[in-house]
Amino acid sequence: MTMRNFEEHLSEQIDSLATEKQPERDLFRGVELGIEAGTNQVKKTHGHGVTNNQWLAIAASVCLVTVIWLSAPLAFKTESTQTDTYALIEALSTQQQQQVNSLLASYESTPALTQDWQQQLKELDDAANAVKLALKEDPDNSALIKMLHHVYQQQIALIERVHAPKWQQI
Amino acid sequence: MEHTQQRVVHANVVFGKQDESHLISEAKQGNKYAFRQLYDMHIGRVYALCYRLTGEKGMAEDASQEVFIQLWRKLENFDGQSQFSTWLHSVTANITISYIRKQKGWVQRMFNLEASGIQDMPAESQSTDIDLEAMVVRLPERARMVFVLHAIEGYRHEDIANMLDMAVGSSKAQFFRAKQLLKDYMGYDDA
Repeated sequence: MTMRNFEEHLSEQIDSLATEKQPERDLFRGVELGIEAGTNQVKKTHGHGVTNNQWLAIAASVCLVTVIWLSAPLAFKTESTQTDTYALIEALSTQQQQQVNSLLASYESTPALTQDWQQQLKELDDAANAVKLALKEDPDNSALIKMLHHVYQQQIALIERVHAPKWQQI
Repeated sequence: MEHTQQRVVHANVVFGKQDESHLISEAKQGNKYAFRQLYDMHIGRVYALCYRLTGEKGMAEDASQEVFIQLWRKLENFDGQSQFSTWLHSVTANITISYIRKQKGWVQRMFNLEASGIQDMPAESQSTDIDLEAMVVRLPERARMVFVLHAIEGYRHEDIANMLDMAVGSSKAQFFRAKQLLKDYMGYDDA
């Protein structure tokens, strides 16, 4: 019951505290269950078939496809679509020329009503070539395409008009 | 003779550490039997710390189990640079603190801190035969945790402040408070 220095007393008591204390029951069964639960959860995650690496690969693939999808038009559109459009124009020109040749052949025995129709046809042909030249630089220019189509229609109309006037058809 | 005895003791320590290293290595490979042996070797220290930090048998049991479950998962993180027991002790302290935070909501913790029955606890006579353990676990939560970590486990106030997410000054204040309560509890007069 002697009055002792508290700090000293406390220090002694702390030093005498047991470093170990055993639980009253075996806790390892619970630990095992916790480990198994965690392992099963991991297995389930893997069991669904897609691992982190696979997700990464899928994400990378999606990104790659997206990049190609977005950049492809920029990389190829200029060349390919321009080439395609101009090929159509060339095909249209060829078809026009065939139609002109066919009409001229059909009207070979029919005398023309005017003398300068071939000059007019040549002027229309020059106009068509000028428009085609412009389209070669700017194939997607719809105004030029319409203009070319109009020139070709005029060529056909000219040939028909000078060889088969409406009044003769009546 | 004395020389021989020293050599024997030394050999036991070395073999003991080798055994532990082997068990750790085996447990890392997934050997649960080796892990059970590690559990048997360390459960006493782990449970003692959990009990003193939580102040409650049930919580100490749950926290101890949580420590070993986490240990199984994080054993790969142990690189062998420090003593396993030191590393495990640090892991135990951190997991138990997290466990206490999870178990007690903010409101409960705030009100429970000051609602401890320590003030009503009768003072004991000044005797060398006191049960410090019983007094410690009945301290208010924050004072108890700081006292256990600083006075019993030897952590610095800076480390405790970091672990308990409080200011260093608060850790020191809680330690002072814990000592005052223990002093009262042991029957010492302030004078």
